[in-house]
Amino acid sequence: MSNMSSLSTALSALYAQRRGLDVTGHNIANANTEGYTRQRVDLVANGGPLSPAIWSKWNGVGQGVDVAGTMRLHDAFLDMRAVQERSVLGEQLVAQQVLGRIEMGFGEPSDLGLAAQLSDFWAGWSDVANNPTDLAARSALLERASTLATNLRSTWGSLSALRTDLVGQMKAQTDSVNEMARSIARLNEGIVAATQSGLSPNDLTDQRDLLVAKLADTIGITVKPANGGAVDVLVGGTALVRGTTAQTLDVREGANGVVTVNWSKDGYPATVSGGAMAGLQMSVNSTIPHYLTALDGVASRMRDLVNGAHAAGQDLDGNTGIQFFAGTGAADIDLSADVRGQPRRLAAAAEGGGPADAANALLLAELAGHRDPKNPPPLGQEHLSGDGPDVLYQALIVGLGVEAQAANRRVDIQSEISRQVDAVRDAQAGVNLDEEMTNMLSYQRAYEAAARFMTAIDQMIDRLVNHTGLVGR
Amino acid sequence: MTAFRITQRSVSQRTTANLQLALRRMSTTQDQLSSGRLIRRPSDSPVGTVSALRFRGDIRQTEQFVRNADDALGWLGSADRTLTSSLEQVRRVRDLTLQAANGSNSDASRRAIGVEILALRDSLIGLGNAKYLGRPVFGGTAMDGNAYDSEGAFAVTGAAATGKIERTIGPGERIQVNITGPEVFGHEPNDLFTRLTALANDLTNGNVTDFGAHLDALDGHSTGIVDALGQIGARFNRVESMQQRATDQLMALRSSLSEVEDIDLPATIVDMQLQETAYKAALSATARVLQPSLVDFLR
Repeated sequence: MSNMSSLSTALSALYAQRRGLDVTGHNIANANTEGYTRQRVDLVANGGPLSPAIWSKWNGVGQGVDVAGTMRLHDAFLDMRAVQERSVLGEQLVAQQVLGRIEMGFGEPSDLGLAAQLSDFWAGWSDVANNPTDLAARSALLERASTLATNLRSTWGSLSALRTDLVGQMKAQTDSVNEMARSIARLNEGIVAATQSGLSPNDLTDQRDLLVAKLADTIGITVKPANGGAVDVLVGGTALVRGTTAQTLDVREGANGVVTVNWSKDGYPATVSGGAMAGLQMSVNSTIPHYLTALDGVASRMRDLVNGAHAAGQDLDGNTGIQFFAGTGAADIDLSADVRGQPRRLAAAAEGGGPADAANALLLAELAGHRDPKNPPPLGQEHLSGDGPDVLYQALIVGLGVEAQAANRRVDIQSEISRQVDAVRDAQAGVNLDEEMTNMLSYQRAYEAAARFMTAIDQMIDRLVNHTGLVGR
Repeated sequence: MTAFRITQRSVSQRTTANLQLALRRMSTTQDQLSSGRLIRRPSDSPVGTVSALRFRGDIRQTEQFVRNADDALGWLGSADRTLTSSLEQVRRVRDLTLQAANGSNSDASRRAIGVEILALRDSLIGLGNAKYLGRPVFGGTAMDGNAYDSEGAFAVTGAAATGKIERTIGPGERIQVNITGPEVFGHEPNDLFTRLTALANDLTNGNVTDFGAHLDALDGHSTGIVDALGQIGARFNRVESMQQRATDQLMALRSSLSEVEDIDLPATIVDMQLQETAYKAALSATARVLQPSLVDFLR
């Protein structure tokens, strides 16, 4: 081993510690960067040639240190776990938001909600029954019925507007999924190129993993490692990103009103499980239609009950068979043209009763008590089996409450899980400043020591070159 | 949580999450406190919501029962007053008839009695035409006009003549609040007014043979009116007790609704203060925890 080779050992140490310091500086600089994974210099002792040859002899002492690369200190399993949990959370958050907005649309329990208006409507019939010839009581009833119908329509309208809104959101989210998939493919390309040329594309990988995590919020994905440090991203088993190419998704609304996410290349529906997209798809195709149907049920039950009883009665001028409500459901329920603005045409009297007879109004008022099997329909209305609109509406609200409560709980639990997984992942991959300071100290000290070693070798050579063999001078 | 590597970022994220949680709890309580309501949306308590909806519906219905009962009492009261006056006048007619039957009366004084009875008949027809809110009390379900014409003939025809006026005063509980003229004053031709006309005519014409039949008939009519009064009184009592019950129930329902829906003020205020304290403690802990690092201690 030559003196000069000791100098190169010192030099390798200087290089390596410098790299170590640089990386520490990079870590500190990114202490608060989202998605950043801490890095370490991978130092390898240069132990000399593995297979000695004639001109490559080795005296057993190492030749310094080599920088093998910089590595990201992360746990691939934790990353994957975090991605999965985020997908689940993304879906549940949307479900929670949508149910919250539906709850706001109904505005129960209150003195102004549909339940209160239904009660008001029934009470209006009692007022008419008390004073069947009073046009004021009749007009008041018509007003209440009209308010009730308007409110049913506007609740239905706000629910279906919410649905349209969510379909729009799905389209926007799909655009952002496509954009993220393209970016991931581009980053994959950069990573593969860097890896092939022997570089450590750590920061590119961080950026890509951050994008993958964001993508997981939006749509449920499976991530598979591929060659050269790239990853494949699968949605429902089909590749959204394979290596350096990305597919695109689009949103289509079928003739039956079902909204699906499809692969643009062949139009096949994609299986979306998890992520905000899954939540939106579920809300649009199932949650909101469910409540629309239930509201329709309330409206048409009310229409049928009231019309059935009303048509059997007789108005102030002796006409019978008058329909009270018109419309096919909650979307278009309204007063029928027969009674709108014509208080005389309310059939308060039973057929064949006197003009001031109020038997039919009494029957209609008693529909308010038409609640459940424990409270059987009033006399003469046995054909009205099943629950009245009040009961159906209550069932709707309770169902909504239970569903929304469950969604809130699921979000609470899932965000805790997601937070913990993120915390563990962060703990693994995040920057600890104390640790970096310690590393900084050790690299700094090692650098100083290497410099001192170099000085020592230098002084040895100096001694040898300048201070030995002076006899002949 | 397992013991793992702690980083500045994970500490700050956890701290933020915890602060958020504390703040959210505080905001929920503040919401409840400022609105005074425990249930703001169905998901706050689905069971409480359905109770609240039912209680509201029941309250509205019971309020209507109370109002219906008020109206029923009005009808029954007006019938009761009219019938009481009618009874007095029928008794007066009977007294006059007895007086006329006395053989010592001259034809002239009998004629005078006949005139008075005719006047009483008109007054009774007036009572038979008594109105409540513009509708004849004894006219069945006639819309307006009089129950009896000026000659004492029942003027209401068709289904209205026997029409029942009913009020719902409890769940599935209806009560008839009217009584028709013929039920009180007798059916034609055996009704009170025909009898009075005949009596007055007999007295005016000096035909004095038939007083016994007249007196019997008058007694029959008195009994009829007394019976009707009894019926009306019994119904009045029933409506009154139902109304009392409904009013009591209203109180109970309102307090039940409040129990389900309203906050317990002292408990909520205490909660609020506890949460405020916890939040402040979390804030000051955060301020201390996030400060130190090795940087401060290295030179």
